[in-house]
Amino acid sequence: MAVQSPLTRKPTLAVFKFASCDGCQLSLLDAEDELLAVAEVVDIANFLEASREVRPGPYDVTLVEGSITTPHDAARIRRVREESKFLVTIGACATAGGIQALRNWKDVNEFTAFVYANSEYIETLDRSTPVSFHVPVDFELRGCPISKTQLLEVVTAFLQGRRPNIPTYSVCVECKHRGTTCVMVAHGTPCLGPVTQAGCGAICPAYNRGCYGCFGPMEEPNTAALSAWWKSLGVDDRGLVDAYRGFNAWAAAFREASDRHEAAITVRGASA
Amino acid sequence: MHDLVVIDPVTRIEGHAKITIALDDAGEVADARFHVTEFRGFEEFCRGRPVWEMPSLTARTCGICPVSHLLASAKTGDAIMGVQIPPTAVKLRRIANLGQIIQSHALSFFHLSAPDLLLGMDSDPAARNVFGLMASEPELARRGIRLRSFGQSVIEAIAGRKVHSPGIVPGGIASPMTPETRDRLRENLAEARETAGDALVLFTGMLDRFDREVRAFGSFPSLHMGLANDAGTWEHYDGHLRIVDADGAVVVEGVVADDYRTILGEAGRHDSYLKSPYFKPRVTPGDDPAAGTYRVGPLARLNVCTTMGVPAGDAALAEFRERAGGVANSSFFYHYARLIEILSATEHMQRLLDDPEITDQKVRATAGINRRQAVGASEAPRGTLFHEYTVDGNGILTDVNMIIATGQNNLAMNATVLQIAREWIEGPSIPEGILNRVEAGIRAFDPCLSCSTHAIGQMPLVIDLVGPDGETLCRVRRD
Ligand code: SF4
Ligand code: SF4
Repeated sequence: MAVQSPLTRKPTLAVFKFASCDGCQLSLLDAEDELLAVAEVVDIANFLEASREVRPGPYDVTLVEGSITTPHDAARIRRVREESKFLVTIGACATAGGIQALRNWKDVNEFTAFVYANSEYIETLDRSTPVSFHVPVDFELRGCPISKTQLLEVVTAFLQGRRPNIPTYSVCVECKHRGTTCVMVAHGTPCLGPVTQAGCGAICPAYNRGCYGCFGPMEEPNTAALSAWWKSLGVDDRGLVDAYRGFNAWAAAFREASDRHEAAITVRGASA
Repeated sequence: MHDLVVIDPVTRIEGHAKITIALDDAGEVADARFHVTEFRGFEEFCRGRPVWEMPSLTARTCGICPVSHLLASAKTGDAIMGVQIPPTAVKLRRIANLGQIIQSHALSFFHLSAPDLLLGMDSDPAARNVFGLMASEPELARRGIRLRSFGQSVIEAIAGRKVHSPGIVPGGIASPMTPETRDRLRENLAEARETAGDALVLFTGMLDRFDREVRAFGSFPSLHMGLANDAGTWEHYDGHLRIVDADGAVVVEGVVADDYRTILGEAGRHDSYLKSPYFKPRVTPGDDPAAGTYRVGPLARLNVCTTMGVPAGDAALAEFRERAGGVANSSFFYHYARLIEILSATEHMQRLLDDPEITDQKVRATAGINRRQAVGASEAPRGTLFHEYTVDGNGILTDVNMIIATGQNNLAMNATVLQIAREWIEGPSIPEGILNRVEAGIRAFDPCLSCSTHAIGQMPLVIDLVGPDGETLCRVRRD
């Protein structure tokens, strides 16, 4: 799907939204100064947060926020893919199904009936799935929400025709850089940092709380070792299920860990 | 049999707004409805989760005003623990909410509405956006962007991150404020205040040009609801519910959040994911809830309060009331009210930052589960937000209800769309400018459609004009 155009043409950037909270797109809007610099080198063809104008594709770089939850959106993401040279998913919703993927463990009919009296009107898939479940994705940028610094790196990298330089190590590394004392070692506060991918700058431990995994699993996370540590801090299987089932619940490593603990539950105990 | 005009991004897509306009046999507009088809299912998947993680979980409802959910949820958590949080924690939460009011209102005014207002509703859509504003009014656009950015920086300073901040927790605030942070915020406050003041002057200066909009953009009598404190002062975090009628008579006074069900009912519509709360005492059970229509948000808050509690805010409120002729019943005045709230928020923030207690180290109370059921309310930028949780002995949620601002304005938005349709639609064809006007009319409410979606860009809309036999007569569409 080569984008043919005169050499003078600026590359085009498009942003599309699916089921999400808009928080990740807002990170782009928050990059005020940098955005102006980016706007000098790219043509923003579709960014509803900032402009009403929607220009037809093809697009050089497309950012997709949100998960796929309806048959219509499943078809729409295919069209977006066809129009895009590089497709980058941004945020936990798009890369892992988001918090709404918690519905994946429930019966969707029961679910809609609970919230709305007349659920026959609702046309929804029984699962909230990541974009990569439907179409090939060129890069997945994590976070709930994403970090604007990382977003700018990704956009710049694709415009320059190189791979983005996004670390895949854990939040622990960022705590060390920042000089934050480990909250698990020092205070016995359960923390998902050891299995969560870096990118946020280790915010939560710096704010006296454990990481709750909003950047999703790091590369090859050792969830078994972390679960054992949490258990030694008094967290039971129920608590571990909840911990892994957050904004990245449907990401394989967290999903498997949560299912393991769910299977181990015999009695529902207190959660930490 | 009615003809139907449906304004829809394409039927039944999650997260989209959809508008249906019904024509009667004479081709006149008979009814209008605003539906939201977003479905992420928060109320259901929160069941079974511990109350401690609810602020973080529910914040993800909306990336535009996550602090509102953080606060309503943390307050519900405080009540379930049965604790009174440290005074400094209350002050820090207040500052965070003021920061959010500033950033959210600035986004609504400068990024979204100013292009319509300054460049004209019929001007070229390709330039009628924040980039177009940068080209024609660079100074104003730049200042607006900086104002929003200031509000965001306040949230980040107190709670760790601009969006989905981890620092607001049941029991208080996760980490105290350093003197350096306080000084930095104090320094930047002056510019924010100046921008708010200048925007207000600009807006009132052009109000005369919008005579038709003031008249037809949702100008109708209704009730207005908001939080106010005991003296009737404008509130955004604590206080109690106050309702005034279209003439300013106080209808409800002093109802605490826990008792919201005594005054509010919730009507579910079969065709929308957005519930329509209504004022119960005005609606006979089984009847159309429209009789109980009330508005929330900046317009309503200014209508219910007796004072803004700060000098510049009060001067602006006096002028606002004079221009509105008492209670402001035109939804177009939401824009005006938003600017007054930004200005007042900077004054309130100044007071809080000047308080010597603000850097106190005691910012968090801890306790176990002491109550099984509680309601927390706060004023989101768009209106009163309620979270109601029922928990078991371990703090696991067994039931949850969230009443969002956009839902409470649903009936009023229907009335607004109806009024705009009547003013601008004639007969069975759809005039060109109608999309913009319907969109602008809804945008006056600044609906949060993530709590819904596309609130802050172009709303993808389709108008279908459907004949009595169900056949589509014509369609205007913009994705
Ligand atoms: S990943 Fe998180 S911040 Fe981003 S859109 Fe989804 S819920 Fe919002
Ligand atoms: S520490 Fe963990 S939960 Fe907190 S912001 Fe970073 S990745 Fe997200």
